[in-house]
Amino acid sequence: MKKIFTLIGIFAVGSLIAQDTTSTFDRQAAVNNYNAKPGKSKFMLRGFWFTGLDNLTNSEGESSSNFIGGGFNPILLYRQSDRLFFEAELEGQYDVNGGFELGLGYANASYVLNNYMTIRAGQFLLPFGTFTEKMHPSWINKVNNAPLGFGHDGISPMADIGMEIRGAFYTGSIKLNYQAYVINGPQLKDGSDEPDEAGGLKFGYMTDNNKNKTVGGRIGILPLSNSSLEIGFSGMTGKVGTAESKYEDVTATLYAIDLSFVKNLNFMKSVVDIKGQYNGTNVSDADYLNPETGADYTFENKSSGYYAQIAVRPSLLENKILRNFEAVARYSVLSTAEESLWAADPTQLTFGLNYWLDWRTVVKIGYQTTDGLGDHDTNETISQNLFYVRVAMGF
Amino acid sequence: MKKLGIIISTALATLLLAVSVQSCKPSAMIQAKSGAQIWGETCIRCHNTPSPDTFSDVDWEVAGMHMQLRANLTPDEVKKVIKFMQSAN
Repeated sequence: MKKIFTLIGIFAVGSLIAQDTTSTFDRQAAVNNYNAKPGKSKFMLRGFWFTGLDNLTNSEGESSSNFIGGGFNPILLYRQSDRLFFEAELEGQYDVNGGFELGLGYANASYVLNNYMTIRAGQFLLPFGTFTEKMHPSWINKVNNAPLGFGHDGISPMADIGMEIRGAFYTGSIKLNYQAYVINGPQLKDGSDEPDEAGGLKFGYMTDNNKNKTVGGRIGILPLSNSSLEIGFSGMTGKVGTAESKYEDVTATLYAIDLSFVKNLNFMKSVVDIKGQYNGTNVSDADYLNPETGADYTFENKSSGYYAQIAVRPSLLENKILRNFEAVARYSVLSTAEESLWAADPTQLTFGLNYWLDWRTVVKIGYQTTDGLGDHDTNETISQNLFYVRVAMGF
Repeated sequence: MKKLGIIISTALATLLLAVSVQSCKPSAMIQAKSGAQIWGETCIRCHNTPSPDTFSDVDWEVAGMHMQLRANLTPDEVKKVIKFMQSAN
């Protein structure tokens, strides 16, 4: 019995000491927290990840089914001060052998000159329309891929190196934003590497092929006071041929018109999101070597493409399940220079149903058909149907 | 030479624009908008409206500046939205 009292006594004293120690730690943590000042320099890691399943069938009945590794894109944000900001996006994806490739999507620093103007330098996503700069992350893009004409072998530039000024301001209840930039610019494919693609443009090269710089910009107008509607006009122009070559005077002019309308419609208890963008490319005439005939040939080097997309999410419903669904449809067209060896005219239609697990994590299921002259490597018409599943997360 | 002319013209136009916008002011209705209203109207133009408890007070300052640059928000809009997110998280 005496031992029991002794043990109880030891336990009680120990508990008091432990409690006092914990309280001391808590008090010290509170003091540290009170004294902790965040400072002006702040670092943040964000980004996005996605994976999924593709079930592809072509017109000849051939099919394939693959889980896709997807992509992992960390975005580093660093706010050095109220005026100085750095951002960089790494692009990671699996290669066909199961390895992992990591590249730099962009890296740039911005300096806020005043309330109306910010200057930026480095490699940045080009404000050519809105899709590339604002919609490309997999958790923001409402379907499985980019519209036709964006990305590899596209006609819309993605990122480039140079300097840019941008800003936004109101005049009354109308909001305007602008971006103007000088960059290395697109380069002309002269056929030396891929003869079938002579006359096309390639984007995002680290070194310029001439001393001429490409200039461009975008103006966005938000005419409604609730910012629900934005119409944008983009353009860029510059020489694209390699210096001291027969193509050194070849010039490219690119332009785009974009539209965005996003609004809560109470009578539908839904958010309606309509987006679209038209891209055009004009490259001045030049003679290229036809590898099939061995003779020079030329063509009217004009390409265009567009997409239109509508998404409806009944987010104003009281039902917690139904309000997380979102229906989406997108129509996309690409038409490259008709008489060139790389002519293509595919059309693509996508229907999808998304379910939002939270505001930045989505499960996408959809069906996509692509038809038309689309494979310029074989100059063949493609006709394929794709059933896709995607899981995308922003962080 | 033609390119130099374009660059100089662009620079002059930008300077003119910069001077002009100094005289542009938002209407009283725009100035009266709260951070919550701007949050509800602006974020959704690209993505779902984020929950305020997604980030800490410090992180909202970084995310807010990122959106100022990426989504072309005015400094006044960003200040209001950050203040709202920090008060509601």
